[in-house]
Amino acid sequence: MAPHSPGTDQISTLLTIGFVAAAIVVVAINVALVVAVRKYRAGRGAAPSPAGSGRRVQFRVGAVLTAFAAAIFILSVVFTGKARETPSSGPAGLAAAKTGPLTIKATGQQWLWRYDYPNGAFSYYKLVVPVDTAVKLELLSTDVVHTWDVPDLSGKRDAVPGKTNKVVFSVDEEGTYEGQSATLSGQAYAAMQTAVEAVSPQAYEDFLKQQKADIETAQDRVVDLIQHGEVP
Amino acid sequence: MSEKPRPELVTDGFPGKRRPRWVELATSADHKDLGRILIGGSLGFLFIALVELLLMRLQLAIPENTFLSPVAFNRMLSLYGTSAIFLFAIPFALGFFYYAAPLQIGARGTALPRLGQIGVALWVAGATVLYAGFLFTPSEAGINPLAPLTELAFLSNNGVDAWATATGLAVLGFVFVAIDLLTTLRNLRAPGMAWRRVPVFSWAATVCSWLLLVIGPVLLAALTMLMIDRNYDGIFFADGSGGAPLLWQHLSWIFFSGSYMLILIFAFGAISEIVAAFAGRPLLNRGVVMGSMVAIAVLGTLAWMQNMLTAPIGIGWMYFAMLMSLALIVPFGLIVFNLIATMFGGALRMRAPLLFALGAISSISIGLAAEIDHSMVAAAWQLKNTTDATAATHFALVGGAVFGGFAALHFWFPKMTGRTMGENLARISFWTMGAGLLLAFVPLFLAGGEQGQVIDAYKFYDGNGVNGYNLIASIGTLVLAAGIVMTLVNAILSRVNGPEAGHDPWGGDSLEWFTLSPPEPHNFDVLPDVRSAHPMRDIRDAIAHRDSRTDAPAHESQPVA
Repeated sequence: MAPHSPGTDQISTLLTIGFVAAAIVVVAINVALVVAVRKYRAGRGAAPSPAGSGRRVQFRVGAVLTAFAAAIFILSVVFTGKARETPSSGPAGLAAAKTGPLTIKATGQQWLWRYDYPNGAFSYYKLVVPVDTAVKLELLSTDVVHTWDVPDLSGKRDAVPGKTNKVVFSVDEEGTYEGQSATLSGQAYAAMQTAVEAVSPQAYEDFLKQQKADIETAQDRVVDLIQHGEVP
Repeated sequence: MSEKPRPELVTDGFPGKRRPRWVELATSADHKDLGRILIGGSLGFLFIALVELLLMRLQLAIPENTFLSPVAFNRMLSLYGTSAIFLFAIPFALGFFYYAAPLQIGARGTALPRLGQIGVALWVAGATVLYAGFLFTPSEAGINPLAPLTELAFLSNNGVDAWATATGLAVLGFVFVAIDLLTTLRNLRAPGMAWRRVPVFSWAATVCSWLLLVIGPVLLAALTMLMIDRNYDGIFFADGSGGAPLLWQHLSWIFFSGSYMLILIFAFGAISEIVAAFAGRPLLNRGVVMGSMVAIAVLGTLAWMQNMLTAPIGIGWMYFAMLMSLALIVPFGLIVFNLIATMFGGALRMRAPLLFALGAISSISIGLAAEIDHSMVAAAWQLKNTTDATAATHFALVGGAVFGGFAALHFWFPKMTGRTMGENLARISFWTMGAGLLLAFVPLFLAGGEQGQVIDAYKFYDGNGVNGYNLIASIGTLVLAAGIVMTLVNAILSRVNGPEAGHDPWGGDSLEWFTLSPPEPHNFDVLPDVRSAHPMRDIRDAIAHRDSRTDAPAHESQPVA
């Protein structure tokens, strides 16, 4: 994962914190095990000593563990709070999204993602967004549970039928970011992919116009064919 | 003098012709026979689950492989998960509880033997239904099949019905066994055995039985709703008309989180007994360890939404789930601390049970450390449903059920069969398993954590930087399986050929080592008065004092039992 959105920057930092915490736990326990086995093997030292640690030691260990857990909890809350903030659009972003995020509807269906843009245009598989612009995806599913996951731009979010979920991000660099659905959704699950293409605001507007025109042309053609008694 | 027939006095051949051994075993309501059925049966399903895992790893050895079709892969996935959890891990733990706990507390049997027998029979029935699914179509819906994928509209064949029936029968069986165990532990403890003197493993049995009584019915309810949805036009989990797909996630994750904790509590119960026996000193602060087990059961189950951090639930619930998960650090940490503290200052005899117990602690430490990351909300948004989660779960549960379970197997095998398991093969098996576990799942940590490879997928694409990781993971799984099979072979061979063990081969502290190996059907001829948390140690001390009584002044000898 290479962060390309303010939210993923925060997630990336939190992942590093988590990795350090996990490493501390693994190293502490396994080093203690190795030391115990090397030092206290039968026949190397004295007979087993009957004395043990008292209640005070238990309280101290408990306090250290509680402090460790509390530190992780607080750090997680801080970074999670930052990661889920709606980013603000930058100067190079879409003018229309200066006040609020650009809202796009993302619908999961077996085994494709459909994106509905504000002007009524839609696209499958590929989402086109303007760069440096706050984007809010409203996730919904028409059939089973899917998970929208483009690691560089945002954390995962489930699209569950009947319940809207949301993802916010702001792409900092033009380019294409690959993603894959992350919840088993049936036979073609592994092939259920998506891509986010970040383009300049001008290119985004052009894309929307072109897409809308293409869709309308296609629809007119279908209506025309049906009127002439032909099945497309 | 002619011998008069005396029909009232039957001396020859009593009690007449014995039925064949398998008939006796299959119809027995004795907790030792039922425990052996659970243990033996679940080891068989461990082998089957390994075959299924290997088939999946073979498919995932190279990118875009076509060895298994998507449908075949999803079926293997569903069968593997169900077998590993419902047919191996939980019944394996319950089998040891059922075998050893009544012996540990000095009971001559269980309180409700028929209920336990029905429970085991239900589990066998569930297993039969699951694998009879092969005759038509196994489920394709995954390990925890999330609604609404399981609805009739999306999977219309009988696979999901077979899965739900099988799982339901098995869980109902577990609940029955738990009721019998709990009643036994509550009412049939030997004279003098207050709760504070109950062996740690029997305490673990108590906690796990309570846990099953809470979480079992939750899954049973969810499965019933699913069956109504599928067969009687129900709408519990269907979207629209008032149904709620998320309801399934809540109910099922309560069960799965609880059973995750059950397996770890079982493992730590067995490890505690083993570490104490092989360090030659009692477990330090057993009260703290016992209390921690209760805390794990409660907190771990309350943390069910840790599995739903990407679902559309409020951020407050996510923080609640994180709080419960991270709070688990304290009880788990205290247990591990006291286990290690018991070893420090002990005299460790490095026999197979201790080796496996240490391997279990090590493996669980890696799995639970990774689970810390999966509990941190924003980090989970990145890590969830990647192979990083597969690796974390497997380190924790293979550590608990396989390493911890095998430690228990090596420890109580002499009690069950009268023979010790082969030590050399056990060592080779242990190191093979250890190497296999690391090779199989460390690469998956990297593939999931670094590259975001998703879980449960029947293929992955070239050029994502995960080819090498997956190949190594597949080889590692093969090594792990080889190691596990060695222990299975060791167990089968040692039943007949193992070196004979006495009634107390390890110098254990609890009462199961007081009786014969294998025990008589009534377990104990005489029951000692229990005066401490380690009655068998007291008995050994008393015997030692009795032998030297002539030398020691009277006021120094304190016969205890």
